[in-house]
Amino acid sequence: MTAEQDTHPSPAQYWKIAALLAILTTFEVAMFYVDRELGLGGLNALILISLALLKFVIVVGWYMHLRFESAIPNRFFTAGAILALALYLVVLSALGVVVIRG
Amino acid sequence: MSDVVHETPVAHHDEHESTGIGNRKLGMWVFLSSEFMFFGALIATYLLYSNRGGFEGTYPSEIYDIPFTSVSSFVLLMSSLTMVLAHNALSKGDQNGTRTWLFATAALGAVFLGGQVFEFTEFIVQSDMTLSTNPAASAFYLLTGFHGTHVAVGVIMLLSLWGISRRKGGLSEEHGMNLELVGLYWHFVDIIWIVIFTVVYLLSVPSA
Repeated sequence: MTAEQDTHPSPAQYWKIAALLAILTTFEVAMFYVDRELGLGGLNALILISLALLKFVIVVGWYMHLRFESAIPNRFFTAGAILALALYLVVLSALGVVVIRG
Repeated sequence: MSDVVHETPVAHHDEHESTGIGNRKLGMWVFLSSEFMFFGALIATYLLYSNRGGFEGTYPSEIYDIPFTSVSSFVLLMSSLTMVLAHNALSKGDQNGTRTWLFATAALGAVFLGGQVFEFTEFIVQSDMTLSTNPAASAFYLLTGFHGTHVAVGVIMLLSLWGISRRKGGLSEEHGMNLELVGLYWHFVDIIWIVIFTVVYLLSVPSA
């Protein structure tokens, strides 16, 4: 095992990360209700997707320890995620569900 | 995140190959990468049909209970915390801690599953939205049902490890890698729900 793999967060840090995830989730739900009142539309979608992406990266990076892993799993996982996202964005835009403005 | 501890893992009997990572662990990462495509297809299908009109019956976005689903999401998110605490406890040779956190993770997963069963029952009984009501309902049940199945498989694996940990001597070095692989799977199930909660629930309900 490499020195990089040996270096994992402490339990205290895991609790802090969980608190951050809880705060982000609360903010997401709050945004949902703000949008219901104000009708933010695209801005709401942008904020919610950004928050979800942030939570995703935090869990993958710290809880799944991907940021402490070697390059191989990093590449597999990141490539899989990006390829899936790209493929389905193309499919959904081709079917008119997602509109990508250039 | 600079305050880190240097662990001396109990587990990880898996030999490292030329890739710098054990074959079993690499296999799990590849499997999880392929799961992205699987869930991506289900989410794309839901997005395709979620707001497509012309069909009879109740649409999922009309009957979502956001406060309830928010609590379920929180429960699953916190199960990722208990999972890493189990892994951390084992790496320090703390068998009691490992047992406690493993059971807590399985229990939180079971609570999430109970919530999903309750949600499905409400939708079917109260709102008369079944698997065959319309394409949006079918896509919804397919996506969340498959995710729930993944959670159920995770709970079974966690309870199996918990059962082994209760035996004399607790979890051995060889079981350490199993715990790590189950942990990776469990966190993956969590991140998929992060996407589903935002895309399927929060963004599907039309603004007032």
